[in-house]
Amino acid sequence: MATAPLAAPQVGSRERPEWIENLAGQLLALIVALVIALLLGSVIIIAYGESPGTVYGAIFHYGFGTKNGFGYVLTEATPLIFSALAVAVCFKGGMFNIGVEGQYLVGMVTASWAALKLDFLPGPLLMWVAIAFGILGGIVWAVIPGILKVRTGAHEVVTTIMMNGIAVSLVAWAINGPLKYTQQAGFHTPNLRTDAFRASAKIPDLGHLFGIGSSVHLSWLLIGAVVTAALVWFLLKRMRLGYEARAIGASPGSARAGGISIGQVQIKLFVISGALAGLVGMQQLLGDKNYLPIGYEAALGFTGIAVAFLGQNNPIGIVAAAILWGVLARGETAVQIQTTVPREFVIILQGILIISVVVTYQLAKRRLLARQLQTAADVEELADSAAAVDVEGLAKEDR
Amino acid sequence: MPLGDIGAAIGIGLTYFTIIYLTGLGGLFSERSGIVNIGLEGMMIIGTVTGSWGTHHFTLPAPEGLGWGLPWGPIMGLLIGMLAGAAFASIHALVTVTFRVDQIVSGVVINLVAIGLARFLSTIFFGQATQSNPGQPHLNPVDLPLLSHLPWGLGAAFQRLSPMVVVAILMVFPVWFSLYRTRWGLRLRSCGENPEAARSLGVRVAPLRYEGVLLSGALAGLAGAYLSVEVTYGWGEGQTLGLGFIALAALILSNWNPIRLMLAAFIFGFAQAIPLRLMDAPVLRLIPDQFVRMTPYVVTIVVLAGFVGRVRPPAAAGRAYEGATT
Repeated sequence: MATAPLAAPQVGSRERPEWIENLAGQLLALIVALVIALLLGSVIIIAYGESPGTVYGAIFHYGFGTKNGFGYVLTEATPLIFSALAVAVCFKGGMFNIGVEGQYLVGMVTASWAALKLDFLPGPLLMWVAIAFGILGGIVWAVIPGILKVRTGAHEVVTTIMMNGIAVSLVAWAINGPLKYTQQAGFHTPNLRTDAFRASAKIPDLGHLFGIGSSVHLSWLLIGAVVTAALVWFLLKRMRLGYEARAIGASPGSARAGGISIGQVQIKLFVISGALAGLVGMQQLLGDKNYLPIGYEAALGFTGIAVAFLGQNNPIGIVAAAILWGVLARGETAVQIQTTVPREFVIILQGILIISVVVTYQLAKRRLLARQLQTAADVEELADSAAAVDVEGLAKEDR
Repeated sequence: MPLGDIGAAIGIGLTYFTIIYLTGLGGLFSERSGIVNIGLEGMMIIGTVTGSWGTHHFTLPAPEGLGWGLPWGPIMGLLIGMLAGAAFASIHALVTVTFRVDQIVSGVVINLVAIGLARFLSTIFFGQATQSNPGQPHLNPVDLPLLSHLPWGLGAAFQRLSPMVVVAILMVFPVWFSLYRTRWGLRLRSCGENPEAARSLGVRVAPLRYEGVLLSGALAGLAGAYLSVEVTYGWGEGQTLGLGFIALAALILSNWNPIRLMLAAFIFGFAQAIPLRLMDAPVLRLIPDQFVRMTPYVVTIVVLAGFVGRVRPPAAAGRAYEGATT
């Protein structure tokens, strides 16, 4: 029967794999956003009577100019990678974990408890157990809003923020109660920190392998963060849970119709997100201080949201975005020391960058979608004409 | 327990009621127009820092015969906080209405940016990043008529309140009237329920949504300015304490109704007062005070979890309107 050529969808020269189109779109959007941010930033710099070249040059030099400088950037990036991954995992499933802040605080408390109370554990086992307890603390704090969302419909944005508030009090209680400082006061003020952990709880230093000073505290956790990013990528792209998460994130209705149990997937995502959040505090706790100080509010959870958006919730993008953020964070000092612009300028720059990124990604996504729809329409048209030819063929056959 | 403590707690509850109610009304306008506003907290933060600046800046000895003896510092502070909140909210409006970015993403970004912007503004205003200068004037407190004479110490709750508390309580009338008795209010609500249908009847969706978001910024900014001008008498970083999110929870509990929002705001406001004023109450005395401090947050979670299934948000809230933008 059908002799007519049933046209394969050869739609002009636009036939490129989808992921390349996506990647190109994302990169372009990021570059546009960066240019916008730098331009608007220049306006502020000029208003302060400085030259943009001087300011941006100082930021760049502080981040990349010296070995130690870049070491600081990587140290800064380490917790941000975990934090942004935690945000991204939930985001892929259409949820917002704004509670990474509280989750890592609780993780720091549980990890400290393990490091102090289980110090009979031999050698590096203590470190691993402390990390595991940190993960566990993060999970416990994340799974509560997860269950509340699934069971009662309480929006996770509000509940996770409230859990943050509770976590702050919990840390205060732990340091004044079960984990109270007992060692000789020495130079430190008691009550403001826990006892020091045993040295075996510390995550080994990585920096000295590259000639970076030990005061930078660049630890093996950086490798852990990069490996974790790869694992999260694998989870989201190659595993069933990741597929289900993306389906829910794209369209909950279709996902439900497709037989996905939305509640179960969302709780699993919150567990994973909490586990990642539990690791956020480990750089400070086990890679640097080796005790838990009170008033530890570095806002790593909120910064993680920014980094996740900047990295377009893509694990690989997040690693790059965290490093960029580290450069900017270090740039605060550079701006303060080397220019007349106040250090808070960098925060504004970060803010402008995030807003531009969110908007340009959205515009790029819409453009891409419109193009795909156009392609689909073209294909349909071709198929229609092919079908028309087919009908003619059939008609001929009938005669 | 002496009733005086409860009276004092109610007084503090009214202070927080004012913040939560004003901010919640902001969320009401925005969400009724169809734009979810997670960024209320950030808009409050901008209100706190600019309000404090306005108060300092306009506290000058008025020239003879001018100023009518009014405390212009705090009044201008409150107004400037309100305007700054609206100006800042215009970012949320632009990003969500014009560029149609996911409304929660934009709200989260608004909150992130607000923290940084507040620090930046603070360095310009006060020469330091995290607090304002001391010696900030405030409005003369007022006693509520009748209520302030209640016996057993309960009257204390209604004495020496900021006039802004009264303003917040009275706010229910114009808000209710504008939403339910004016053409504008009907159109605004129709944009939040079914923008396509509204558009087909000739309602211009985008401008109304802009108005909703700007109003929400103005009210959240006013609430923030009230906090820094009338409650703490100065700006300090982190002083909003998640109240913007608590206001969102109150809004949900109220089923997006300005009258029920009063009750919801007072419940959450009173929860704030418990760790501040009722630490020594019989049962609470036995609990470590760090746990008592958790009360407002726990109350918010419990109430939200218990009520959220029984309320109905504006049908189109959170959904970008794809039609013509004018």
